[in-house]
Amino acid sequence: MSDDYLLAALRVAAGTDPMPARVAADARGAFGLHLPGAVTATPVAVPPAPAGGYGTRSGTRADRRSYQDLPTRIWSDGCPLDGESRLLRFAVDGLTIDVEVAICDSHFDLAGQVHPAPGEGTRVEIRTPYVSKVRYPSEAGEFATTGLPHGWLSVVCHRPAHPPVATRWHRVRP
Amino acid sequence: MPYDHGFPDEIAWRGLVERFGYRMWAVARAYGLSPSDAADAVQAAWLRLVENYHSVRDLDRLGAWLVTTTRHEAIRIGKKRGDQLPGLPDDLPASDGDPVAVMLTEDEGRRLWAAVDTLREPCRSLLRLLVTAPEAGYAQISRRLDMPIGSIGPTRGRCLKRLRSIMEEQQR
Repeated sequence: MSDDYLLAALRVAAGTDPMPARVAADARGAFGLHLPGAVTATPVAVPPAPAGGYGTRSGTRADRRSYQDLPTRIWSDGCPLDGESRLLRFAVDGLTIDVEVAICDSHFDLAGQVHPAPGEGTRVEIRTPYVSKVRYPSEAGEFATTGLPHGWLSVVCHRPAHPPVATRWHRVRP
Repeated sequence: MPYDHGFPDEIAWRGLVERFGYRMWAVARAYGLSPSDAADAVQAAWLRLVENYHSVRDLDRLGAWLVTTTRHEAIRIGKKRGDQLPGLPDDLPASDGDPVAVMLTEDEGRRLWAAVDTLREPCRSLLRLLVTAPEAGYAQISRRLDMPIGSIGPTRGRCLKRLRSIMEEQQR
C-alpha cells in the first residue's frame, strides 16, 4: 500500500481529516435505494453525433428526430443554453434508456426516452440519493424533469409485468 | 439478474458502514481528492454495492470489494478532474492482506498511532507534522525539525516503511 494511503489513514485516525458526518449518512442512506428484483441497465456507446452536434441545445425537436429519436428537453431557468450537456445511453434485455442532462451551476435538468416505446401503465422514476421524481412517459417514451441536485443519478423504468430496470448510477457534476 | 438475493437488512447495512466507512474515506483521500470528490467516490462504492450485491460471491471479502471499488471510483473522478496527486500511479496495489488496508476502525486507528509513538526521532515528529499540519511545506518542516530540506523526502519514506513493518509484525 502506498505511502499516500498510509498518511491518509493516519490523518483519518488522528481526526485531522475526519470523515464528514454526511458521508456516513449517505452511506447509510444507500440502503434505501435498493430496488428488490430490479435489473441493471449498463452504459452503452451512443452513436457519434452528426456534424454540428445533436442540436440539443439550439436545434429543434425535428432536427433531432431527423437524426434519431432523442429525448425532448425542458431546460429550466438559469441553465445557460450554451452550458454543458451530456448524452447517455443504458441498455439491458432489449430495453434502452436514453438520458440527456444539462448541467447548470446549481442543479441539472434531464430529458430522456425509453425505447421501445413503453406500454400503458409505465412510469419512470428519476432518482438521486436525495430526490426521487416520478414521470409518466409520453406515447413515444419521452420524459423530462428539472432542478435535480448535482451528484449521482439513476433512472428506473417500471413496466407492468416486468421487473424494474434501473440504469447504473452515473455522476453528474459540472 | 435480480440483485436483491440475500440483500442485508438495514441493521446489517449500518454495520457495514461503521466497519468499512473510515477505510473507504482514507482510500479516497489518499488519491488526493477534495473532501467533496472523496465523498462522491465513497458514495459511489455504496451505490455499486446496492447494484451488485448479488455478484459479491465471498462476503468475507466485502471490505476488500468496497475498498477496491472506492479506489476505482476515486481514480475515475480524479482523472475527470485532472488533479490527481502528481506521480500517483493509475492503480495502487490491491489492499488484500495489507495490514494497514485491513485496519482503520476506531480501535485500529489507535493502534496505528500507538505504532507511530514507538518510532524513533525524527520519524515520530516528522509523521506527526506531516499528518497534523499537511499544509506545512518542506521548508517549514525543515525549520521545525532542524533537518536539511533535501533529507525530508527520503526520511519520510524510511519512516513510513518502518511504520508498515511494525504493523506487519503486530499482525503476525
